[in-house]
Amino acid sequence: MPDFTDDLKPSYDGTAILQAERDRSSISVHELSKHLLSRDGFLERQNRIVPILENEPLFNKRQQLNLSRPERYHLGLARAKALRRLVKKHGWDHEDHKMAEYLTDEMSPYHLHMSMFSTTVKEQGSEEQKKYWWPKIESYKMVGAYAQTEMGHGSNVQGLECQAKYDVKSKEFVIHSPYLTASKWWNGTLGRTATHAIVVAQLLLPDAGNNGAFLSQGPHPFIVQIRDMKTHMPLDGIVVGDIGPKYGYTSMDNGYMLFNNYRVPHDALLSRYAKVDPTTGTFRKEGHPAVVYGSLTNVRATIVMHARLVLARAVTISVRYTSIRRQFKDRDAPNDTAPEMAVLDYPTVQVRILPLLATTFALHYTGEAMYNLYNDTRASIDKGDFSSIAELHSLSSGLKSLCTTYAANGIETCRRAMGGHGFGGGSGLIGINNDYLSKPTVEGDNWMITQQVAAYLIKKMTSAVKDTSNAAEDPTDELFKLYLSDRDRKSSADIICDGEIANGAILEAFRWRAADLSYQAYHARVVQKKKWNSLLIQLHKLSNAYSEMILVQNFAKALQLSRLSPATAITMTHLFQLFSLHTIDADARSFTTTNAVTSSSLDALPNLILMLMAEKIRPHAVKLVDCWALPDYILDSALGRYDGKVYEDLYDRAHRRNPLNRTTFNVDWESDEIVLGSGDGGRHLLAKL
Amino acid sequence: MSPTPSWVKKLKPSGPQGSELLAAERKKSSIDVGQLSEFLFTEEKLQRRNEILDILKSEKVFDKSQNYFAGRMDRFETALARAKKLQNVRVENKWNEDDMYIATELISEPGPYGLHEGMFLVTLRDQGTPEQHKLFLDKAVKYEIIGCYAQTELGHGSNVRGLETTATWNAEDKTFVIHSPHLTASKWWIGSLGKTANYAVVMAQLIIKGKGYGPHPFVVQVRDLKTHEPLENVHVGDIGPKFGYNTMDNGFLLFNKVKIPHVNMLAKFSHVDPNTGKYSRPISPSLIYGTLTWIRSNIVLSAGQVLARGVTIAVRYCAVRRQFADRDAPDSETSETPVLNYTMVQIRLLTLLASTFALHFTGNGMMKLYRANQKMMNEKGAGREKDSKRGAGPEETHAGSDLLADLHATSCGLKSLASSTAAEGLEVCRRACGGHGYSSFSGVGSYYADYLPTTTWEGDNYMLTQQVARYLLKSARSVLKGDKPTNDTTTILTNFKNRAEMGAAFDILGSDEDLVAAFAWRAAFLTFEALKHRDEQKKAWNDLLVDFYRLSKAHSQFIVVKNFHDALTDSTTTQSLNSDTVALMHKLFRLNALHTLETESSEFYASGAATVRQIQLARTTAIMKLLEEIRPHAVRLVDAWAFSDWQMDSSLGREDGNVYEDMFYRASELNPLNKITIDPYPGSEVLFKGQRSKL
Repeated sequence: MPDFTDDLKPSYDGTAILQAERDRSSISVHELSKHLLSRDGFLERQNRIVPILENEPLFNKRQQLNLSRPERYHLGLARAKALRRLVKKHGWDHEDHKMAEYLTDEMSPYHLHMSMFSTTVKEQGSEEQKKYWWPKIESYKMVGAYAQTEMGHGSNVQGLECQAKYDVKSKEFVIHSPYLTASKWWNGTLGRTATHAIVVAQLLLPDAGNNGAFLSQGPHPFIVQIRDMKTHMPLDGIVVGDIGPKYGYTSMDNGYMLFNNYRVPHDALLSRYAKVDPTTGTFRKEGHPAVVYGSLTNVRATIVMHARLVLARAVTISVRYTSIRRQFKDRDAPNDTAPEMAVLDYPTVQVRILPLLATTFALHYTGEAMYNLYNDTRASIDKGDFSSIAELHSLSSGLKSLCTTYAANGIETCRRAMGGHGFGGGSGLIGINNDYLSKPTVEGDNWMITQQVAAYLIKKMTSAVKDTSNAAEDPTDELFKLYLSDRDRKSSADIICDGEIANGAILEAFRWRAADLSYQAYHARVVQKKKWNSLLIQLHKLSNAYSEMILVQNFAKALQLSRLSPATAITMTHLFQLFSLHTIDADARSFTTTNAVTSSSLDALPNLILMLMAEKIRPHAVKLVDCWALPDYILDSALGRYDGKVYEDLYDRAHRRNPLNRTTFNVDWESDEIVLGSGDGGRHLLAKL
Repeated sequence: MSPTPSWVKKLKPSGPQGSELLAAERKKSSIDVGQLSEFLFTEEKLQRRNEILDILKSEKVFDKSQNYFAGRMDRFETALARAKKLQNVRVENKWNEDDMYIATELISEPGPYGLHEGMFLVTLRDQGTPEQHKLFLDKAVKYEIIGCYAQTELGHGSNVRGLETTATWNAEDKTFVIHSPHLTASKWWIGSLGKTANYAVVMAQLIIKGKGYGPHPFVVQVRDLKTHEPLENVHVGDIGPKFGYNTMDNGFLLFNKVKIPHVNMLAKFSHVDPNTGKYSRPISPSLIYGTLTWIRSNIVLSAGQVLARGVTIAVRYCAVRRQFADRDAPDSETSETPVLNYTMVQIRLLTLLASTFALHFTGNGMMKLYRANQKMMNEKGAGREKDSKRGAGPEETHAGSDLLADLHATSCGLKSLASSTAAEGLEVCRRACGGHGYSSFSGVGSYYADYLPTTTWEGDNYMLTQQVARYLLKSARSVLKGDKPTNDTTTILTNFKNRAEMGAAFDILGSDEDLVAAFAWRAAFLTFEALKHRDEQKKAWNDLLVDFYRLSKAHSQFIVVKNFHDALTDSTTTQSLNSDTVALMHKLFRLNALHTLETESSEFYASGAATVRQIQLARTTAIMKLLEEIRPHAVRLVDAWAFSDWQMDSSLGREDGNVYEDMFYRASELNPLNKITIDPYPGSEVLFKGQRSKL
């Protein structure tokens, strides 16, 4: 309906402001985008698929935040089905499908079918099993989920309670949930969607020496049909459902599942590596599931690469909006008629957003390095030899922890830096915040898994201390040996000399600190024999320090090798410096106590960081976020639009697209009626409660 | 879905039951929970709360079991039904304001009448003349008109002077014309405006004969009192879904040259003569200044409780939840460790537990100061002459000689620190709950989302710190001039100045007094550093904002530590609590102070308030020992915050520890999605079986 507000304009022009921002930087967006987003044809793929999704009404995101939980799942399922149809229509490959899911920006109810379920069958099924299941999986004649986590056990897989007891007589496994806490829980696609599931259960086999008793062989995967293929009702002896609403992941049906002595045939056990003799029930391991470690490293590389895009989204939105948004005049302004300042010109805003901008690039180069290492050594990995990535594998849980924490906290930092409008649905950071916040606690809790890294480093330090003579066997060993030989004479480094930043010294400082913290941990645990539990906080910090070193090293190395044009390359160096120096400043104490950096350098840091941000990064900020090439479709944000029409879009969403404005309410407290003119007296509402 | 079969109903969680685990936790500690609760809230208030809780529970409309499932429309509709019912219950039971406050806390969601009660009535009362009270306030009190407070705009929030809506005086017919010249002039975020209010107090730039007089409040009718449709040339609606607060109809509002009579400009503090058009300010608005201080002090006080709710949930759940066997445990000991025994969980949760008390005592301290100050002002009444020259911020007051200025600056800094601590703390609590923290049934996520706006409203937490810095700089200048100290701030600055040439040696690990003094030292050091940058090195204001933020934080942390310490040495505390509890409170005080000191260690080190060795010892020894000593009392300490299960609406935080049973019940019995069967195959267009697609 037209009204007097149709002709109103904002008091300042966002489009012109962003254009001016772009005009004043000489960075080539095209060049840098290609540099960042060429792996597997990412950019080309994105450009091809965005218009297709934008043309499908079902993929319009405008109403999502208004919907209830069941409605969001309903929509999610409709989109999942529609995507399958698009796959057929356009002949999309697996990567195309994944790109479409990424752009849709919600967890599809089919997601686990196309990821964990199919991967597990492929990696852990015998040749025969693969031959049987693969055609059904590919054609979606069945839909699978992956049921590992339980109500009472997540990260501690060995503690799972669900059992699979082998019955020699009938040659069947009996799957059973002995406790309420044995209920499968959180498993995606399981709640309402799946017909089948991989069920991870304790494999219990008859104890040969002890009649009637059973021995556990630890958790193993079973492929189990859980719902009727026609009626889609749960099979007898299985209770399965959706676990209810969550902080995010609204479109996904995370599920629970319980078994009551449910029988499955002998070949339900995925048996590429674990075999149970059908007649005797004896257990045999075959081959080494090293491939699994390889693909785990690949999964973690993907998590890091995804984290950078998520963070880039938050940074893109906040950089564009705070460039446009004006608030207060400069207190030092000469007169009263001065215009209000762009919010991004406030150092208090820069110090929150610009280090995160630098972080997106830091994550990028480490993700790239992880992929490259995995791909380069893939041939030997497939043969079961993964010595070449053993180290990366051990350290990758620390990277997962640090990078997802950066991204999860970064989204919220960016949201708050945008002030009041950051809280609104038009910010584009509500859904992503809700969804991404699952990351710090899934696939290994970010605090828990840092123990693995620390344990690895303590082991490496122990062997380096024992034997300094041999040649270094890997980069960590090399670092530790160097550290041990220099330990008594090394003096702390000047990372800033006469106001100049020494890039080489920065690297040395990160390396020294990581080695020294490793040594301290080794000393506390191995020499002083301190309790593991009393060291956990220290070990968490060690893991982060080590991961930070990896990020800084990969960033520096990539810049050395890159062939970017000089104007872009110099800005990239500034971003490297900002990331490194900001990291040092944020944990200055650990650089002092490890004797890694001189205190005169540390004292000079805060001002240098402010200068870097204001003079070197700020002028290029808008173009630097443009380089991440995030289409408006995925941003789904009034504040972060490419064209800067912030206020027009906010108003459009509120006024023209808001279903609440289509209803008039009866606000008189003495009347029971809620919707004006409904005459209902609030009865339908009470019925829902 | 078919009903839950009996074999499922018979299942129990494995291992020790949640209720047994919490009972064991409570047995480990002898802290008198009832006594501590009464000390925090008073016996009378606790009693009253239970009575109100019973009344609310008896009304079906307040049932919370579907809250986590519903969409925006349903959430709002239910919230409106609840707001209405609450009014009925209030009238029926003759509840006073305190009772209503308690009821709102228990219901724990923002309601559509919220701004009518919270801002519309208050503004009419404080800024209206007796004539205007009769015209507007009397009707508003009876809910014959329902209002809101429309200040923030699409383009302007904290910077009130930049508002774009205009109110132009029209001498011919003695009216004001309210107008929105740009899209960015649209009122935005206004609570209760979107669908509920039929009146608004609109802040608009007063223009008389082409001259601007700054923003002023005008009472404007926006909807018809019968049809509830917007009036002509008024465009009003709800701004759409948000991160949280979805039960509230935050609204937008635009005017196309709407005329209102002269009497609609609230005229207690400013007045336009209807005959001459002459503008005058009969009384200065220093009372508003007091109101803001009061609101911010309240935010500080409630921040302790907000955080305590998250901590209660996380501590109880982490006491029930077990994960991995201890690496150092003997092989015979195979049972898993309660998560709360992990030091890396303790360093997150027990430090926050200490913060809840720190914030509570600080809030109490602020309220006490505020009341003392109000009393003094009322008695004096004479300070008016001086007040009339005062502007809107503390920087323009007479620093160093004015208790109110100190109180106001302190409240700005503390509001920023306390609400950030609470908001971030809630998210820490949610993550400490591991995977299950992500479920809505944890009760933390939605509460966090609803609390978040507190970090931006009543002064953005970053913006506010400039005011604190401005005040501290002014105070430092007066100290350098040689003025005598008149309040806490000038006292610590003077102490620092007197010892600047001698340095300090604080026994932060051995003496509580020294610990507080170290915080004072660091705050004073940073103040004089900032002053040097500004006055000697003539740095641009804008370049110093990050320093100012840190300065404000340091000053506020000093106030918190000092208030906590003062509360523990106060005789009412030592008389109302057992000596065991007082001793435990001292440990919480030390944990809060030392953990803060360790987190901000580079500033303590740089200022000379603590040595590197002391900081290392604090981290590796003192803090670890405190965690170990406080750990056995954790569950009882959160019990003392006395949250009812009904209020928290959390599976993980249940008082009885039946975490898993409750999660399973909510998932399987309360979950509407489980009543639906779907068609899973992509080849079929059917989505939900037996339902027509709404898409």
